[in-house]
Amino acid sequence: MKIGDCVVAWSKDEELRKMGASGGLVTSLLVGALETELVDEVIALRKISEFEGVPIRTSDTDEAIRSAGSLHAAPINLTKFAVRFFEEHPDGAIALPVKPCDCRGIIEQAKRRKIDMDRIYLIGLNCGGTMDPITTMEMLEKMYEMDPKKIVEEEILKGKLIFKTEEEEKAISIDEVEEAGYGRRESCRYCGINIPMMADLACGNWGAGEDETFVEILTEKGLRLMKSAVDHGLIETAPAPEKGIKIREKTNSVMENVAKTWYEKVFVPIEDRSERMKYYMDAMEDCIDCEACKYVCPVCSCDESKCIGFYDPMDSHKISIYHLIRLLHLADSCIGCGQCTDVCPAEIPLTILHKRVADRIQAKYDYIPGIDMKTPPFFEVE
Amino acid sequence: MEEEWIPKITLFCCNWCSYAGSDDAGVGRKQQPPTTRTIRVMCSGRTDPAFVLAALLEGSDAVLFTGCHIGDCHYISGNYKAKKKFEMLKEVVDELGLEDERLQLQWISASEGSEFAAYINKVTEEIEAIGPSPLRQEWMK
Repeated sequence: MKIGDCVVAWSKDEELRKMGASGGLVTSLLVGALETELVDEVIALRKISEFEGVPIRTSDTDEAIRSAGSLHAAPINLTKFAVRFFEEHPDGAIALPVKPCDCRGIIEQAKRRKIDMDRIYLIGLNCGGTMDPITTMEMLEKMYEMDPKKIVEEEILKGKLIFKTEEEEKAISIDEVEEAGYGRRESCRYCGINIPMMADLACGNWGAGEDETFVEILTEKGLRLMKSAVDHGLIETAPAPEKGIKIREKTNSVMENVAKTWYEKVFVPIEDRSERMKYYMDAMEDCIDCEACKYVCPVCSCDESKCIGFYDPMDSHKISIYHLIRLLHLADSCIGCGQCTDVCPAEIPLTILHKRVADRIQAKYDYIPGIDMKTPPFFEVE
Repeated sequence: MEEEWIPKITLFCCNWCSYAGSDDAGVGRKQQPPTTRTIRVMCSGRTDPAFVLAALLEGSDAVLFTGCHIGDCHYISGNYKAKKKFEMLKEVVDELGLEDERLQLQWISASEGSEFAAYINKVTEEIEAIGPSPLRQEWMK
């Protein structure tokens, strides 16, 4: 094994191989990192039900094993959990599985010196999108005519969304459910970054066989992580077949094209100035000042938040200054992960508002946040 | 009685150049309209974008950044930082639908009194032409 290699890998533990998604590799890597003391803690998602997962930080291997399996309907961003870890243990090391948006959040935080990239192991996972738990349950009742409580497994395969209960299995194509307004979260539909090439490892089932994972080793840290698991007898690897590599590339390009069409559908430019003003005013009017969007945002990094420092709910401004400062603060770093829209109790489409502003500025400075360690344009003074 | 609307312009002046420049305009008896509210800052780089947003929301029809010419900063690089902040802010303000004239950046040195007065005259005319800011509340005087 060396950097740049593509391999297929799976867990040696038969039970784990069946329990985890695609061969239980990620779980084995987390266990391996803990057992070889490569890291102090790992972050994993403890499964409550198919629609609920709680992120936990743990140094217990059993807890890591229990977290096996994928949850597509628990859209959580782990960036802030990694930030908390480095606040508590400035010299510690941590490993965690990351979707591309988690990874981009982590890199943006690292640029703002909240995370040490040398001591964080990022096990990247291919991501075709996550789903909102509430709308998914609604979809199950209306479109699939299944009881959400009885779901034991869900899967995305060949453009189809599959749900399984103990007795039956139903598949409907993703396009069809998305036309009806269900399916993936809006921010996932137009996200074109599906393979986390900025993580240490890029894992996924695209191009891999049954119960195994396709892995691309991207960095020195990723190699260390794989080696420690192999040396410890936790995983088995084989070179990736040529066909698998091609399938993975093709899947990726298909997903990218779908994202592009969605992007054009969602971000229709508003040409008229006064209409644009009205659009922002109307959207932000419903804000109830709960500050949840700031709390959950993976790229927010002020120690003492400026957005609330200038803000008083007693002000009767036409647009809340809290949101205006946030629009400006995230202008160069917004990754469009959709967390703010998810948590907003007033259902303001915050991600779209932020991305409308951010995309202009990111295009102007030719900067894509979270894919490399390039200095953000705000900090780049001639 | 209905009061006639005159533009209200918030002006951030650098202590070392444009503030002295405005002084020079006064000493030289250069005519300029009473539309500006001047705020002295120690450097144009000190003008936090939040100040600008607050000024716009509190009823300013325009906000002007003024500072030393590039290369003349008293603190070496303050005006480069001001420029960066201005550029980012400009994109946000433009996306929100405010007109270009409502946010401007101008380098004015301590000896440019006449330029200062001419600039204020020009901006006031521009703002008079486009009317009150859409962010201003109707009851704000």
